[in-house]
Amino acid sequence: MSHVYPQSIYGQPSYGVPVPGFSAQRATPASYQQHYFQPPPPPQPQQQAAPPQPLFHSDPNSFRRDFTSRLSNLTINSRVHIQDLSMMAQDHPHFSSIVAQSLDHHIRQVPPWMKLPGFYLLDAISKNVFEPYASVFSRIVTSLFMDAYFQVDSSTRNKMEEMLLTWRTAGPEHSPLFGPETQDRLQTSVWGDQSFATKNQVLSELQFTLGQMERALQANPRDRTPEGHIHVLNQLRRLVERGVSQPELRQILEQLRTLARSALPPPVVRPPPPTPRPVAAPYYNQHPPFPPQAHAPPPRPYSHPPPLSFNSIPQAVDVAPPQAPVPALLPSNLESLMASLVKSGVLSVPGTSTPTAQGTSTPEVAPPLALSEREDPSAVKDMNTREYRNFILSEPIALTTSDITRARPRIVELLYERQTSQCKQCGIRFADTKLGKKRLEDHLDMHFRQNSKVDQGRGHSRSWFTSLENWIHDASINEKGKGPAHSLSLTSTKVDNAKREEELRAQFVVIPPGAEAQSVSCPICKETLQSEFLEDEEEWVWRNAVKKDDKIYHATCHAEATTSTSSIAARLRTEKQQGSRSATPEVYPMTGIQSTTLRSTPPPSLLRKSGSRSPPQLISPGSKVAGVKRKVDHHDSDPLEDGTGTPPFKKLALSSTPIPSS
Amino acid sequence: MSTSTDTPISEPKRWDLEPESEYRFELDPGTSLAIKLVEGQAEVFGFELAEAKVYLFGSECKAAVYTWKGCAIQVTGVPSTEYVSNETPMRIYANLHIALEQMRVRALRQVRGSPVPSQEANARSDPPRVLVVGPEHSGKTTICKILTNYAVRAGQGWTPFLVNVDPGEGGWAAPGTVSVAPVKGPIPTASSANPLGTAATNAPMSLASNTLLPLAYWYGHPQTKRNPLLMDRMTRNLGENMNDRFELDPEGRASGLIVDTPSSYASGPSANDHRHKLINACIDAFKINVIVVVGHEKLNVEMQRSYGANLMVVKIPKSGGVVELDSSYRDRVTNYQLHAYFYGQVIKPPAGITNGSLGGESLTDLVLSPSSTVINFNDIIIYRIGSDAMAPSDALPVGARRTVSEMQPVVVDPASPGSRLLNAVLALLSPQASDESERYDEEVLDLTLVGFLIITNIDITTKKMTVLAPNRGSFTGRTAVVGSFEWQEQ
Repeated sequence: MSHVYPQSIYGQPSYGVPVPGFSAQRATPASYQQHYFQPPPPPQPQQQAAPPQPLFHSDPNSFRRDFTSRLSNLTINSRVHIQDLSMMAQDHPHFSSIVAQSLDHHIRQVPPWMKLPGFYLLDAISKNVFEPYASVFSRIVTSLFMDAYFQVDSSTRNKMEEMLLTWRTAGPEHSPLFGPETQDRLQTSVWGDQSFATKNQVLSELQFTLGQMERALQANPRDRTPEGHIHVLNQLRRLVERGVSQPELRQILEQLRTLARSALPPPVVRPPPPTPRPVAAPYYNQHPPFPPQAHAPPPRPYSHPPPLSFNSIPQAVDVAPPQAPVPALLPSNLESLMASLVKSGVLSVPGTSTPTAQGTSTPEVAPPLALSEREDPSAVKDMNTREYRNFILSEPIALTTSDITRARPRIVELLYERQTSQCKQCGIRFADTKLGKKRLEDHLDMHFRQNSKVDQGRGHSRSWFTSLENWIHDASINEKGKGPAHSLSLTSTKVDNAKREEELRAQFVVIPPGAEAQSVSCPICKETLQSEFLEDEEEWVWRNAVKKDDKIYHATCHAEATTSTSSIAARLRTEKQQGSRSATPEVYPMTGIQSTTLRSTPPPSLLRKSGSRSPPQLISPGSKVAGVKRKVDHHDSDPLEDGTGTPPFKKLALSSTPIPSS
Repeated sequence: MSTSTDTPISEPKRWDLEPESEYRFELDPGTSLAIKLVEGQAEVFGFELAEAKVYLFGSECKAAVYTWKGCAIQVTGVPSTEYVSNETPMRIYANLHIALEQMRVRALRQVRGSPVPSQEANARSDPPRVLVVGPEHSGKTTICKILTNYAVRAGQGWTPFLVNVDPGEGGWAAPGTVSVAPVKGPIPTASSANPLGTAATNAPMSLASNTLLPLAYWYGHPQTKRNPLLMDRMTRNLGENMNDRFELDPEGRASGLIVDTPSSYASGPSANDHRHKLINACIDAFKINVIVVVGHEKLNVEMQRSYGANLMVVKIPKSGGVVELDSSYRDRVTNYQLHAYFYGQVIKPPAGITNGSLGGESLTDLVLSPSSTVINFNDIIIYRIGSDAMAPSDALPVGARRTVSEMQPVVVDPASPGSRLLNAVLALLSPQASDESERYDEEVLDLTLVGFLIITNIDITTKKMTVLAPNRGSFTGRTAVVGSFEWQEQ
């Protein structure tokens, strides 16, 4: 891969096909043409290609309406739209908060593939108009950016990362566009703790700087400086890909940033825009509006990767800093870094094999999580866990009195905004993801079971506390369909249960002649047995029924009852042998049914082992379900049981069926 | 607004709360309050309120409805005090929570063996095990509750363990206990009777996400100084069992634990070193790695000095909403707690409110039916730990030895006139080892609490007594321990 900016704006060819040569003809400092693709090339130069002049609004409501409706058309990466909206924002700085709100809302509610243009607009407004927008946006940009970042696909993520990098120097005096704190927070969220350098981040930045250099080279083919840098950068990239130590990553990153900063065109060099808008802030002139090109020297046309390939790179590492006018302030630090790396043996000159010696003390840099975990198809749960982990770890809060007093938490996102679906009954929240929805469903099922149980009698009483044995072995699979503890690995149990239930339900008892009109109820659940006419048998039957001792039971109820009694017996036996303290099972006077089911406890070693390096799904909430459930729970609480009208007791039977001993 | 009658009829009042402010209220005995979230988002000590649901508060509850982003609530009833405050330490508590979450996610990552990014390679992966210490009225319990609720609400399936070693508090059962419960759903705040949520009942709500299954030991007295040795032992017992559980459930362990302590751990005569011993017992037993000091500079310095080298010690401010409580309030709360243990929560909603719920539970579910039975004296064995009238050891004359050690279980004969068993709160213990050879003298000290019994009548002539039990389960042949609590139905 040799160019940062792929042909397509989003990596979706349908939107990104540039008109050949279109932007190449423009020599304006604005570089929209490189990213804000505009299907029909406008007749005028880009930046001043006066987009439809918006009306001047004095009424906030009409402005909001107008802006929002135009914004809603921003479905693809259209430069016209972005410019139009950007101008509109520029003309109405006093409505900056409306712009921010509308944009925030727009980006949040559009589907992931449509979010990028919104960010490009945000980027363009901030860079072109800066005041007051950058400061207004800085309040929302962190959460907006990160929320979107976690939703979009990887190519869009790359785009966003590139954009983020341009923000670092897009403010006045090359300061971060949204302020150092926001920048830092965003970088931390994307690449992890900024006091460390991750391989991932270094690679992104390398790529970014490479792109800059390549454009510089194209802009001025006679300038040999960028060429030299490109060469070194490519070497560095391969080095980093192979793995270097943490201090070196850090060093490389610093050098890269210095390089990127110095590569910024000095303001004076910039030709002033032909028709400057009166309201334009100074940065408008200094910095080309579009993100990835923001630091690029006089722009080069889009989609022209420099004629550069790896095998054409000379073997030599030393590159003489050339004397070129643009960019004028080139550092030789990168070369010296390279030189020192080579010297220390970290970097072998291209051609030789793997690096050796001390520099490779951590050659196994963990692969970027974003890639490694996402590829695992069964990692839905882990995605959630991983994202959450990144989110949490990106909060710059150390456990010290000063930090917790000072930092401003993103707690609202954490507790509210990340979890948008809420149970109306008890207020518990769930993420608006597939898994979250599933959990909410399970949770509602639980309420349903609970509520349907309420009518079944009065006279509740306080239970005894659970015994020590039970308490220790309760591996918490209780209710609520929430939490990683019981998500995926319950599936197999569920399938078994479902199958079992299916079988039980298929059982029937032929109704004795003359009894059709009678209503017969199951002695266990007291519900009336449903009768139906069976075509095959040409008989009226009771479905889901079984006949024992001249009584008709629901097959499911009966199975449950037998399972639980046998489990009491089994449990008593076991415990007697073990001389356990908890020999007396807790008896519930109100029902007389022992609801505790016996499960053999899996050997601790098994569980401990699973805690080590095995894939997460083996740790197995499932094995806990199957293995350790000894809770003195009065009702079934398996969150993954489907709630289709089965009375709770039957469910209990099903959820507890796979008992090895019975 | 209304003249003082028994049931003041009050119009619902609407309160609009700014972001990061809270509506605080205090209730007098016998009054109740209904709060409905009209719009926005709100939480009571970390428990999020569902919109349009009516939440009831009673039993002298003192609480606050906090909002991060602003909300409007509708309040029915007449609290003795109500006001809105914009100054809360919630941000700091939230920061603390996030710092604890960082520890949790690292711990879970290690448990699952997920790859550790290089920059994290040296980060510690201990789950947070937090000891919250602070003087009286600093809001320790509330902080524990907020931290626990936030963890539960993260949507990550955390099950933090909430530990209560404040025997004056009552935790999930009644005062006098040292207990722990894994918390799976947010803990509501509705009444002073259940400061840490409700222990399981066989009512349908025991399915509910916020039902707690505690493990408890019976210490038997409200004050830790009464028998520090026993406190020490109970604390260590609790810790040992938790470790056993964690070994079986490594992922559960990653959620960490939060320990609420009595104020006696934070201050006391310097000559009396029992509090240091007890703090040490906690640190050892629960493998504490974070000490949170609530609003007490001197204590913070002391903790830094004593433990700062090995543990993280952070100080957080106390909330201005904390209410100073007197001892008669404590007595009333004990009474509420025992009543709630046997009979459930009975809160009469304010006039005009019919659809209230307590922490999301419908009222009818909260009425419990205990059982009163007559048993023979010898149906249960009752112990008292230590001698009858125990003075602290340092109050004994120089050279004097106790005739009965502080830790010795002494059998109490209901027939003896000085038994003081009438109206006493008995702690029913789990059964002793069935194998005689496994038994030992002080085994009683190591048996967990199963439930509470109250002796409501003693008939010496027939050698029978009437016992109030929470349910109809049999306890014949079991062991019970009596402490210094008494309770009479009122």
